[in-house]
Amino acid sequence: MKKLIAALAAAAAVTLYSFAAGAQAYPERTITVVVPFSAGGPTDTVTRLVAEAMSKDLGQQVLVENVGGAGGTLGAKRVADAEPDGYTLLLYHIGMATSATLYRNLPYDTLNAFEYIGLVTEVPMTILAKKDMEADTLAELVDYAKANADKVTVANAGIGAASHLCGMLFMSAIGTPLVTVPYKGTGPAMTDLLGGQVDIMCDQTTNTTKQIQAGTVKAYAVTTPERLDVLPDVPTTAEGGLTGMEFGIWHGLYAPKGTQADIVDRLSKSLQVALKDENVAARFAELGTKPSSEPDATPEALKAKLESEIARWKPVIDAAGQYAD
Amino acid sequence: MDLFDNLSLGFSTATTLFNLGFCLMGVLLGTLIGVLPGIGPTATIAMLLPITFQIGDPVSSLIMLAGIYYGAQYGGSTTAILINLPGESSSAVTAIDGYQMARKGRAGAALAVAAIGSFFAGTVSTFLVALLAPPLTAIALQFGAAEYFSLMVVGLVSSVALAHGSIIKALAMVVLGLLLGLVGTDIYSGAPRFNLGIREYSDGLNFVAVAVGVFGIAEILRNLEDEHERTVLIKSVTGLMPTRDDWRRMVAPILRGTALGSALGILPGGGAILASFASYTVEKRVSKHPEEFGKGAIEGVAGPESANNAGAQTSFIPLLTLGIPANPVMALMIGAMIIQGIVPGPNVATEQPALFWGIIASMWIGNLMLIVLNLPLIGLWVKLLTIPYYVLFPIIMGFCSIGVYSVNSNVYDLYSVAFFGILGYALVKLRCEPAPLLLGFVLGPLLEENLRRAMIISRGDPSVFVTRPISATLLFIALAVLVVVFLPAVRKKREEVFVEES
Amino acid sequence: MAVDRPNALCGTIFVALGAFFAWQSLNLEIGSAFRMGPGFFPLGLASILILLGLVIIGYAFRVGGEPVGAIAWRGIVLILPAPIFFGLTVRGLGFVPAIFFTALIASFASAKMRLVPAVLLSAALTVFTAFVFVQALGLPFRLFGPWL
Repeated sequence: MKKLIAALAAAAAVTLYSFAAGAQAYPERTITVVVPFSAGGPTDTVTRLVAEAMSKDLGQQVLVENVGGAGGTLGAKRVADAEPDGYTLLLYHIGMATSATLYRNLPYDTLNAFEYIGLVTEVPMTILAKKDMEADTLAELVDYAKANADKVTVANAGIGAASHLCGMLFMSAIGTPLVTVPYKGTGPAMTDLLGGQVDIMCDQTTNTTKQIQAGTVKAYAVTTPERLDVLPDVPTTAEGGLTGMEFGIWHGLYAPKGTQADIVDRLSKSLQVALKDENVAARFAELGTKPSSEPDATPEALKAKLESEIARWKPVIDAAGQYAD
Repeated sequence: MDLFDNLSLGFSTATTLFNLGFCLMGVLLGTLIGVLPGIGPTATIAMLLPITFQIGDPVSSLIMLAGIYYGAQYGGSTTAILINLPGESSSAVTAIDGYQMARKGRAGAALAVAAIGSFFAGTVSTFLVALLAPPLTAIALQFGAAEYFSLMVVGLVSSVALAHGSIIKALAMVVLGLLLGLVGTDIYSGAPRFNLGIREYSDGLNFVAVAVGVFGIAEILRNLEDEHERTVLIKSVTGLMPTRDDWRRMVAPILRGTALGSALGILPGGGAILASFASYTVEKRVSKHPEEFGKGAIEGVAGPESANNAGAQTSFIPLLTLGIPANPVMALMIGAMIIQGIVPGPNVATEQPALFWGIIASMWIGNLMLIVLNLPLIGLWVKLLTIPYYVLFPIIMGFCSIGVYSVNSNVYDLYSVAFFGILGYALVKLRCEPAPLLLGFVLGPLLEENLRRAMIISRGDPSVFVTRPISATLLFIALAVLVVVFLPAVRKKREEVFVEES
Repeated sequence: MAVDRPNALCGTIFVALGAFFAWQSLNLEIGSAFRMGPGFFPLGLASILILLGLVIIGYAFRVGGEPVGAIAWRGIVLILPAPIFFGLTVRGLGFVPAIFFTALIASFASAKMRLVPAVLLSAALTVFTAFVFVQALGLPFRLFGPWL
């Protein structure tokens, strides 16, 4: 009996202690990271890898919740409205910046609804064409496209998708509008590219690296300043003579506005630790990307990125004149 | 020969005690979660996916996932048969005659036929995958927008056979389904359509929500009408196993269903969803007793279930040979592979032979375990039907709510359950059948998308549909089906066409 | 004259739904057969639906039919709000109260259900689902939400 009382007292003491400890005890329960896309996609995969590594560092489970819909803006809205207690986070890609222009009736204020934790990764893009495309270099492809503007088809995975953004950028870089063929998702778009039903597509390395390596599609350029380790034979857009095409699908981690600074700081540190995890780095490398560097995985870097990207994409989207609402 | 080396590599990978254990665990978990009402295969797999991440070895993890996949599929058919709740488009067809069999006390036979048909179809199509994956992929890549459009037209025309009452009402239900399928955002212009300004519907209505509403809720409400007469769903359950007569009647449908399903499953652009509908049409057409369809014809379960499973199996072909997912379930598989450090692509067979052939071998093992595990369980599932109905349906409502919500954490999907529940109930009361509506719902977006895409690619030239040989052939088939299905009906007096058989 | 009232009603529902889709389509760009806008395909379908509905109404005046039969009013009033309640409360109240009351509301759709068995049934379902989905499968539900 005495033992029981002692045990109860100890339990009570522990409970009281953790109450008193308050914020210092963060995180004291499961953290949920909202992915604004359905399970199985590239953003979901990136998030699950990072979430697992962050779990190890934070000592609490980090769960992934898929809240898909409306190009990711439904999930973003969910987090914008969530309690700013550090237990609901958002991992969203470049769509955070482009949706500010693509959706004219966004139910949250992109720049003022979130606290920034840090950049996670920036996935490079590749410019591809069907296997039997006659052009062999980027310059030839551009000439071919300009000469056959009314015939050349550019596939994309739907409005707001990486391939849609890249297609718009490509057309604005070569100064010629081509025939856009939208699909519902990357899968069917890639299938039609493999079957030669459409001519050109520009998409993330996460989706294209294996196809390029297998020679089922022709790769013309990567959109990074330097060539990629996984695709050493593919030149950069700058090498191929196209300027203004450098970009990637950057991913950032956010918390709702009003989350305490020390919690944001803790999460940012944890993200930096997770991005140095060997497993994360190895998996990212297989996808043709790499974890963001420590200076990038900070609130300041993410904030700067978001602001500059909103400014960059607004004119491109307005010029294309197609909105998603 | 190469194939035997490959298969033996596959089987030696898949049959280690360790991997067999994971396969069994996957099938068991998949069945147990998938059999919960309102939780379809996609939700089941998404829920169980994280468990497979815990397994360090990628091969074991994917073998377990394949087991979950088969278990979930079978679990979905079980709820379709027992309580008229299909978890995916293909089991909507199973629900038509399977549920009627259950109401006649033949749930055991229906479940057994579904299991046996699936196993046979699974075995045949597994060998098809092993033998012919690369050449079949080449055929699938010939399918462009024009071909898919023509294929969907074939499906649409065949849908009339789903009706066992008024043909004209069935047509109206198909058209309504097509329209409901268009709710959401137009992918070509980004314009929102028919969503009443609700952003949560901008990616369309959720299939599970619509199916749970028009099938499940409508059925629950019907059972609540005259409670004094019915308290349990079925008063007597006769024979758990198929009779000799059943066996005789199910052989041919299983063979035909397997062939149809295998062929359609290869097409990554939505061929597999037509498999079970097409099989039902064929069986009703060739049957000597077409009037039994819709009232518990065993052929109406055997054919579509075989087609469904064969299609599920061959839809792995685009995933394994191209690295491209054919449906949301396959997308989950790809996500799982990447997390395990395998990026699927065209070279996965040469780069990771043990994995590639191990998965193929485990497909067959998964099917085998499914039947070994589920035949004895049939007795248990059927017992569930003896639970008083007023105890069963609050449980169904609870699971449906969780299942529908968990797909996308979207509460508006739950509101659509209620809306489609009342709409489905009203239509059922007015003697309209829900299956054609669901077919229209899944075909709607595919039909429009491919039509418009074909026109964009051809620069506005509609002749593509007849100048491309595959597309022309399909349209010819559609015309033939139209003649075969409609002629006997048209020959009857027009009044009779309209009167329901009941 | 015998009027098949269920079929007349059925046809009317199709016409009404068709009219809704047609009206909504008219607000969209229609385009032409060669350059279809977002409104083209649905407008065509909606017209067909209206036509089919009219044909059904037409037949209703020619052939007599059976009556509709009993309607499960109690079921409609108590079954349909169950998923709506779950949707409204799952994030606020949390998983446990949401699923408990969802099952409880649905229970009373049957005239045969009594309070005690209904509470026991709902409680059993709550424990089971909380254990399976939240504990074992780790779905991102909070057992008790911020409203409590």
